[in-house]
Amino acid sequence: MANAVVLRNLTKTFGETTAVSRLDLTVPTGALYGVIGPNGAGKTTMIRMILSILFPDEGDLSVLGHPTALQAKDRIGYLPEERGLYKRMRVGDFLVYMARLKGLDGQGLRGEVQKWLERVDLLDCEHKRCQELSKGMQQKVQLIAAVIHRPDLLVLDEPFSGLDPMNQRQLRDLVLEEHRRGATILFSTHIMTHAEQLCDHVVMIHRGQKVLDRPMAEIRDTFDPHRILFEPLDPGADAATLRSMAGVVSITTDNSTWDVALDPGASAADVIPRLVAAVTPSRVEIRRPTLEDVFVSIVSGGAAAAVDDDARLRAAVRDGGSEVRR
Amino acid sequence: MKKIRSVAGREFMATVTTKGFVFGILIAPLLIGLLIATVPRYLTKAPPKIEGQVVVIDPTGAVTEGLTAYLTPERFAERRQKTSLEIEKATPEVIRSRTSAVPGARTAVKQSIDDALGSVPRLQVVALPGGSDQEAAKAPLKVPLPDHGAGPDTRLAVIIVDADAVRPADGRDTYGTYELFVRDKLDDRLVDDLHAGMRDAIVASRLQVAGFDGGRIRVLTSVPRPDSRTVTAEGERTTNKELNILLPAAFMILLLVSVMTSGQYLLTSTVEEKSNRVVEVLLSAVSPMELMTGKILGQMAVGLLVLALYAGLGVLALVSFATLGLVDPFLLVFLLIFFVLAYFIFASMMAAIGSAVNEMREAQSLMTPIMMILMVPWMLWLPLSREPNSLLAIVLSFVPPFSSFVMLLRMTSVSPPPMWQAWASVAVGAVGVYGALWFAAKVFKVGLLMYGKPPTFGTLIKWARMS
Repeated sequence: MANAVVLRNLTKTFGETTAVSRLDLTVPTGALYGVIGPNGAGKTTMIRMILSILFPDEGDLSVLGHPTALQAKDRIGYLPEERGLYKRMRVGDFLVYMARLKGLDGQGLRGEVQKWLERVDLLDCEHKRCQELSKGMQQKVQLIAAVIHRPDLLVLDEPFSGLDPMNQRQLRDLVLEEHRRGATILFSTHIMTHAEQLCDHVVMIHRGQKVLDRPMAEIRDTFDPHRILFEPLDPGADAATLRSMAGVVSITTDNSTWDVALDPGASAADVIPRLVAAVTPSRVEIRRPTLEDVFVSIVSGGAAAAVDDDARLRAAVRDGGSEVRR
Repeated sequence: MKKIRSVAGREFMATVTTKGFVFGILIAPLLIGLLIATVPRYLTKAPPKIEGQVVVIDPTGAVTEGLTAYLTPERFAERRQKTSLEIEKATPEVIRSRTSAVPGARTAVKQSIDDALGSVPRLQVVALPGGSDQEAAKAPLKVPLPDHGAGPDTRLAVIIVDADAVRPADGRDTYGTYELFVRDKLDDRLVDDLHAGMRDAIVASRLQVAGFDGGRIRVLTSVPRPDSRTVTAEGERTTNKELNILLPAAFMILLLVSVMTSGQYLLTSTVEEKSNRVVEVLLSAVSPMELMTGKILGQMAVGLLVLALYAGLGVLALVSFATLGLVDPFLLVFLLIFFVLAYFIFASMMAAIGSAVNEMREAQSLMTPIMMILMVPWMLWLPLSREPNSLLAIVLSFVPPFSSFVMLLRMTSVSPPPMWQAWASVAVGAVGVYGALWFAAKVFKVGLLMYGKPPTFGTLIKWARMS
């Protein structure tokens, strides 16, 4: 399968600041990639280079098989982080205009716009001026502008920011629908749960460098913290009874919750029946690594320490993760 | 090309459908025309009544009588009548024929002229003997007017005639004159009448003393000045001296207004797109070059609309006054060519500035030098149109961005340059356009996504070199 986006050794500097440094990335066609990273990490600069809004100082890129996105603009949809609409333009007219810029023909365009507006519950806003819409509504209009031409590559920069939970869900469904249609989706976010819920694959950028580039499932396996959350039914139960159990390294108590750290060689499936037999629980849960843990640990631990260093990352997740929880 | 067309179409429609454009470009001129037509009518509908005394201290004893005669209501009415006839004579035939064709129009026009000239003053000339106390005579001028205005006894002016105003002093051959003291805020038309009356009375007295027949001399020295007539292949017509000066100015104003209007709109819309953050959405669909080209072309259409509108009105006015023959249609073609050249240079600068700044306020400092450049031909209009082949005029007509304005000015002047110079100026202008577009494209590409510190011209040049 051909790759939708390929970045090789991409570097972009602004004066003294290096926004993106020697970045390599391959996004296969049809994939749903999440790009995460703290503010100022270089996500938006990378996205702008993919879209040929900015041009790299060094490195090569390929977008939908072309050396520049300028040759494939009509096949790309883009929702930028900095949202903008023509304030005085009517919603329907704006969408028709954007569709035309994306190469769609005038015939039946108005109908297509209405169909999309109806899809996001904004049909009654077709003749309203953009400035009359709420922020969430404007965001939905912009998303329609990004997908109305059924792009092969959809790039969304912080698509969920500023949306209420209902609109977030609607947007997520729409993105997934586009993915099912076959579009390659690349979106950036600093809200980790969105990446976890949506992505097949996560790329983490920190200080302009890629510090993580793995499938979601692999991240879960690799960064498994080997911890079990245990809540005893009897609030007076003594945690010390479990400390000596085989496979258990330590237990940290936090009110009624015990955080049981397992030996890296131990399996949760083996340890849990023994824990339950020793102390009757009200809740037992295998602690999963969250992207937030990975993110925070990399950001707080420094990118240099984390670059392609699984062992140190794993350690950072363990230590940092428990700290975060506390 | 299709995308450029879409951008241009949106730019055009977004501009011409704004209230600002409709009001500023379409309705404002109509309103101004309406005001010009109606306001003077209302302003002069009831001119203030002038009534009061004019005191004359006349040691010669020969001037007061002449002045009194000059200031009688009958003589005032007679003079008004004469002026009214002169105005009517100066009115173009086309308007005269139309007013006489419409019932009541002639009376209305006559009434308007009479109103404009003011009502006939009712003045009483009071003669005081020479040697009267001048300060005492002037004192009533300081007394404020009563609330109901001036009455028959209100002193309006004091005239003190020199003793030698009619006969030169012994041993001299020059005459004296007079002094005029008036009340504060006296109608300036009355002041003019008093001067004219004094001149008339003194000259008449001097002639009489010298033994000449005043009436005879007036007849002998009167030579009516005829209008010169311009002879052309199409026939003869009255020479319109004013038009010879105004035509170049009219063409340049047309060029300036259309170029500045559309350039200003381009700046505003670019700044708006940038500050609204819609520019990044657009750049995901079109390249910076396509966006800039579309915007420039869209606003050029706006400029052409303005040009067509105003030039059309001008042509219409010339047709109405039967003076269309004064404008060579070829000049209109050159107006169009020079508009395109001047517009592209100006618009390129506006696009560059618009893309570089974050808000309109920041654009002002960058705009100042551009506006000053545009003002140069305007400031030099009179010397350039009087001396269209001076060294300055020739040099400026080959230096973009002045070239378009100055060459058009020269071409519409009384001694236009040879045709090869016009075409050479067009060629130089085209090179200027290329340079301006190149610079603007470089700055536009970098500036659109730059936010933060307001740039200077130095920054723009740096971006152009960097891009």
